[in-house]
Amino acid sequence: MTRVMRLDWKGWLIAALLTVAILLPLVNVAVWSFTEVWRYPAVIPQKFGFRFWGDVLGRRDVRDAVMTSLSLAAIVTALSALICLPASYAFARMNFPGRNLFFMSFLTVYAFPKFGLYITIATIFIGLGLIGNFWGVVLIQLVSTLMFMVWIPVSAFQNVDRRQEEAARDVGASPLRVFWSITMPQVLPAITAAVLLTFVNTFYETEVAWLIGAPEVRTVPLLMIRFINSELIVQYGAILSLIMWVPSFLLLIVARRFLGAQALGRAFA
Amino acid sequence: MSTVEAATAAVKRRHVDGRGLIGLLLVAAPVTLIGALILWPVSVSVFDTLTVRGPDGRHFSLESYRFFFSDGFSLRNLWLTIQVAAICTVLLLVISLPIALYLRFSETRLAGYIQALALFPLFVPSILLAYALIRTLGPNGTVDILLTAVGLPKIPSPYLTPWGPIIGLVWDNLPLTLLIILAGLSNVSRASIDAARDVGAGSFAVLWYIVLPRIRGTLLVAASFIILGLFSAFTLPYLLGPAVPEMMGPFMRRTIIEVDDPLQARTQAVVTFMICALFAMFYVRSVARTRREQSS
Repeated sequence: MTRVMRLDWKGWLIAALLTVAILLPLVNVAVWSFTEVWRYPAVIPQKFGFRFWGDVLGRRDVRDAVMTSLSLAAIVTALSALICLPASYAFARMNFPGRNLFFMSFLTVYAFPKFGLYITIATIFIGLGLIGNFWGVVLIQLVSTLMFMVWIPVSAFQNVDRRQEEAARDVGASPLRVFWSITMPQVLPAITAAVLLTFVNTFYETEVAWLIGAPEVRTVPLLMIRFINSELIVQYGAILSLIMWVPSFLLLIVARRFLGAQALGRAFA
Repeated sequence: MSTVEAATAAVKRRHVDGRGLIGLLLVAAPVTLIGALILWPVSVSVFDTLTVRGPDGRHFSLESYRFFFSDGFSLRNLWLTIQVAAICTVLLLVISLPIALYLRFSETRLAGYIQALALFPLFVPSILLAYALIRTLGPNGTVDILLTAVGLPKIPSPYLTPWGPIIGLVWDNLPLTLLIILAGLSNVSRASIDAARDVGAGSFAVLWYIVLPRIRGTLLVAASFIILGLFSAFTLPYLLGPAVPEMMGPFMRRTIIEVDDPLQARTQAVVTFMICALFAMFYVRSVARTRREQSS
């Protein structure tokens, strides 16, 4: 034990450097959001308080952006689940011509640098008048969610124990009943993970919204860009950051409870 | 008897055919989306940038690429992107490797803390990161405050220089790079390292002769992943980087939205596709392989 303690200077060094590099910027934002007066070069703000929270929460553009982002993320997630979950069931369980080819076609999402891909889509959308259009944004964001929503549930459907399903059929359960009582409970965690990841990723999606949606579609990340570029009151951006972080925070809690680091890596990478 | 068998076989076949059709119908929507919003736009862009409209229809021409590769402004932006991508890749590998090695071969509670910290950026959206870095490293930011407090000179702020996006992108990509390398390190056994140590190999020799040869493939995949990400980076270069020269992401957006030149924007996009093609292939192949291993 003492040997380990003595040898672990590397661990402490890594921990110290990471603590500064990862936490300092984030703690800084948190402090700013509860600050009323912080004049350079004081290390501690002169006055803490909630005054700016009222201002930010009362702003119309903030509330509108939150509503837009939430509904955008909800619509994209719902549509994605609607078209992808049946597809992932088919990929996992059915045999049809071109199955492998179609399955691997989802990899093309990774085969191009994303932003270049969005540019090529945008050049087509300009011709179709879909620039600045809410549904144009929905359509492109939908494409980036396909990978999560098809691939993650497919593994789950494949891992369902077929013998349990057959046993249920043998004692007279209808196919629907089997699906609902045997298959569903086993794939539900994977589907929940896919839905959550899709929702959170879409909520923070900035590039499609900025390229295709702006200026008509105003999401929270786009409001944040505006705050960064032209807002003089530092606290507004800090408070919006904290508000904006809520979905990620919820995902973090869920991920900590249900996923190990490995599963997390697979889900994101 | 044989007619009954034939009949059941026919029923079964029809059943399979029916399921085949249903299967196709079920996957139709997402596959169509892939076709319509990835394959189609990319093909159109490649085709349109390689042809010009003449009096007798379209014919082959490299004009738009000739423009791109003779335009000093475009070239400077491309060069900046390549440089930033190279620097970020090296930095990420150099930072992730020691952390991954530490996490792989120690079981202390400190390792849990390090892993949690290193993976934390997964839960920080890049737009929030951009804001946090501006407040921390920008002029009169927290780092300046802390340095002034202990009587040191201010830092030359990386904000609005190429180092702004580099710091941001390294921060942002650290968790996934680390996870890729950790997955690769699971192939390196502790026994092989202990054996090398026993015959007197130093840390560097162990790293160079035992660890690196076994994770060469992993490092290549990690590098490919990073480079693909760098060429498609937009938010961080746009908010943290310099206006001139700018990275390909912001440059493409400006070309299409502000300069209103879709053809050049497409050319720029296809150029990034070309540069990334090899890395994309490595990365896609590794994702496909992981997937096959999981399902088998």
